[in-house]
Amino acid sequence: MREVLIPGVNSKKKQMCFDWGPGEMLVCETSFNKKEESETKPGCPFIYIIRKDIDVYSQILRKLFNESHGIFVGLQRIEEELTGKSRKAQLVRVSKNYRSVIRACMEEMHQVAIAAKDPAIGRQFSSQVSILSAMELIWNLCEILFIEVAPAGALLLHLLDWVRLHVCEVDSLLADVLGSENPSKHDSFWKLVTILVLQGRLDEARQMLSKEADASPSSAGMCRILGDLMRTMPVLSPGNTQTLTELELKWQHWHEECERHLQDSTFASSPHLESLCKIMLGDEAALLEQKELLNNWYHFLVTRLLYSHPTVKPIDLHLYAQSSLDLFLGGESSPEPLDNILLAAFEFDIHQVIKECSIALSNWWFVAHLTDLLDHCKLLQSHNLYFGSNMREFLLLEYASGLFAHHSLWQLGVDYFDYCPELGRVSLELHIERIPLSTEQKALKVLRICEQRQMTEQVRSICKILAMNAVRNNRLGSALSWSIRAKDAAFATLVSDRFLKDYCERGSFSDLDLIDNLGPAMMLSDRLTFLGKYREFHRFYGEKRLTDAASLLLSLMTSQIAPRSFWVILLIDALPLLEEKEVVFSAEQTYELMRCLEDFASRRPVWREPGVQRIQEDVENTKLEMLRLALARNLGRAIIKEGSLEGS
Amino acid sequence: MEFGDASLLPENDAAWRLDYYQHDAQMDYYGTRLATCSSDRSVKIFDVRNGGQILIADLRGHEGPVWQVAWAHPMYGNILASCSYDRKVIIWKEENGTWEKTHEHTGHDSSVNSVCWAPHDYGLILACGSSDGAISLLTYTGEGQWEVKKINNAHTIGCNAVSWAPAVVPGSLIDQPSGQKPNYIKKFASGGCDNLIKLWKEEEDGQWKEEQKLEAHSDWVRDVAWAPSIGLPTSTIASCSQDGRVFIWTCDDTSGNTWSPKLLHKFNDVVWHVSWSITANILAVSGGDNKVTLWKESVDGQWVCISDVNKGQGSVSASVTEGQQNEQ
Repeated sequence: MREVLIPGVNSKKKQMCFDWGPGEMLVCETSFNKKEESETKPGCPFIYIIRKDIDVYSQILRKLFNESHGIFVGLQRIEEELTGKSRKAQLVRVSKNYRSVIRACMEEMHQVAIAAKDPAIGRQFSSQVSILSAMELIWNLCEILFIEVAPAGALLLHLLDWVRLHVCEVDSLLADVLGSENPSKHDSFWKLVTILVLQGRLDEARQMLSKEADASPSSAGMCRILGDLMRTMPVLSPGNTQTLTELELKWQHWHEECERHLQDSTFASSPHLESLCKIMLGDEAALLEQKELLNNWYHFLVTRLLYSHPTVKPIDLHLYAQSSLDLFLGGESSPEPLDNILLAAFEFDIHQVIKECSIALSNWWFVAHLTDLLDHCKLLQSHNLYFGSNMREFLLLEYASGLFAHHSLWQLGVDYFDYCPELGRVSLELHIERIPLSTEQKALKVLRICEQRQMTEQVRSICKILAMNAVRNNRLGSALSWSIRAKDAAFATLVSDRFLKDYCERGSFSDLDLIDNLGPAMMLSDRLTFLGKYREFHRFYGEKRLTDAASLLLSLMTSQIAPRSFWVILLIDALPLLEEKEVVFSAEQTYELMRCLEDFASRRPVWREPGVQRIQEDVENTKLEMLRLALARNLGRAIIKEGSLEGS
Repeated sequence: MEFGDASLLPENDAAWRLDYYQHDAQMDYYGTRLATCSSDRSVKIFDVRNGGQILIADLRGHEGPVWQVAWAHPMYGNILASCSYDRKVIIWKEENGTWEKTHEHTGHDSSVNSVCWAPHDYGLILACGSSDGAISLLTYTGEGQWEVKKINNAHTIGCNAVSWAPAVVPGSLIDQPSGQKPNYIKKFASGGCDNLIKLWKEEEDGQWKEEQKLEAHSDWVRDVAWAPSIGLPTSTIASCSQDGRVFIWTCDDTSGNTWSPKLLHKFNDVVWHVSWSITANILAVSGGDNKVTLWKESVDGQWVCISDVNKGQGSVSASVTEGQQNEQ
């Protein structure tokens, strides 16, 4: 349980109120006692935002998240193809990929730490580097034990590699010493040789000894003997065909030979060489003398195993691990979280490893990805955890939720949710609606993601929000297209009304392209249909398709989809058609028009505001009079025209 | 899960200085805006993008301390509701870049303690709980008009909290043809001074009926929070009370009839506020002893406290507060 202190004035009567944000939490001091006579000045006037997963905001870690995302998705996709013998190799490769990403991140952060001008920031980055290093250490061990599943023999070789990878000073020291004029007289010469022996790098150690032999003839003989012992130590090399038993036998012989030299006091005159011989015999006391060079208990463990139980079996590891830890710490200090995690790994207790890592690390990244990989290795099930692969999903959900707090990393989170079969979808639904749609581009991205997954509710909701925004900013065309995409009839009606209102005021339409190309979307709402058809009427008229225009106009009036407020416009629109040279409206149509006109006139809305509206009313009246006249004239002409046709 | 160390707030975290007592603070849907309300009768709105803290609006209209604010769903525009000791509920709306009062509801005889917007699927509906024991429901019917339904004597002595159930369509969620509203069963929970939590359901005739009475607390219920739905058939409600207890109520069957309480924890002091995170996996509890604790259900069904957010005991480095002040 972690406690976070909010800086504030101590006060016994105040409480904290809080609220959840989409990705964070805010707290402030308050008083829940709802009495009128509350004080007006607070003790602690601050509101704090607490974000979990603050790592999400680190520039360099972002690369880690991005690249590991690629590896994660790749792993999920090739799952079906992972079969047979190559399966293990491929999973190991995935594991190595993850680790190389961690190392790259470490390297970059290390550079930044060194270059940092502010020492506090430099320290911050350095501590991040050590956290990443610990993560890689743990992951590497898990790879060896759980994924590679190295058997006895090979196990030790892997562990040696593991240790060598995490002790970097050796190479620089080696370069230092070799580069000097008289390597064997270098201050750190024996330190170097000892480290090389501790790491099992016996060839290099032998090289060093030969330099010493050259430089001081008195010890040349001893150096040669020790060098020979180093050369002849039986090691399991990869690809070697000898069995474990053969190796053990040979090793036993060799061990006895070393023992004999020690008994014979071959190296008695050189404490350094004698100490090295003892190390090679796996003498615990001698090893513990080198605590400083070993630096940690797991190095001690591996060296110990190398020189006393090189054919150690995986299931026996934990015994040596525990005792190594105890011996190394020597009761002076207690194990740290990292130590416990490594111990749990040596005990093959995957559940414990994950649990301890979850507690120790401040970000879900590590446990989420590692657990997912181990799940692919079918390890979580085989450990008979009753929540088996649910653990994987649980961790992935936590990690992905954290990503959603970030303005661009949320896109990575989507893929993680996709691969959580139980709660991934609903989690995505809940999170994706909370992404601020700050730009059209972002909105489109979010919508595309929702549409790809058939999240129709979310699509609808987001489109509605965007439509609403567009209306408020007077971008009617945009509002209309969003309402169509949302299939929101009510909103489409609202926007269409706005269009029509604009037309009434300005005499022209904006966003003609959109209205002209509505297509079947026109059917979404009556008002929208009217809008589209009315535009069509305009187009017919523009193209001189007068009879079509006339019929359309009439149908608009008779079909009742025209809003009341628009009737006068429609009627007046008939005027130019009536005044054409040719007869456009048939007699029948003219009767209809007349009926509409009278219908309208009798039910005309009363203008509430005087003044300007009166003038408008007068203009309207005049136009309607003209219309009556035109209709009458047209009726005459139409009757004559139709009569003549019938007659002839 | 770990929180960043609040005493070393990196520049991404924010702290603002406010010269008044804020009773409630709420983030909007996207976490880009913050609304606060206080005993100085004002409602303030801040833009908090990118760790900034710009005061957008200082809304005056209440005549008493304002207890709670609530943001409506963004699809209805930028709308905020506030309730106050002055017996009023005010609905504020942002129009053309400025915030204005768009509606005032004065139907209560006593302090209005809690407001909560219904799920956006139901439309724009606000529930208000008052010390006069009644709960009123305001429904926006268009063109600036709000319809009011009142449940009198919902709780004797007073109602302290209201919380809506998430929108769930009965049966499978098939894509409805446009224009046809799915038949949602609207429900909400209320907590009152009668130590009870009541569940309310809207009947077909539009009237609200008390569907369930949840009894477990021995003192005033201070807050109720209905958890967001994560697609499982269970419903979950958290409640907290003057008696120091927090209960988690779960209902397994789809008919919604049997609710069983589980005691989360008994605190030593009054518990004022409970709230669920977006995906309902964490419950935050604000209690006496100056702590906000976070709780999570573990895989074996037990509730575990995962984090404490504690008020410091006066030991803050002055540089933090000064630094924040300089940013103003």
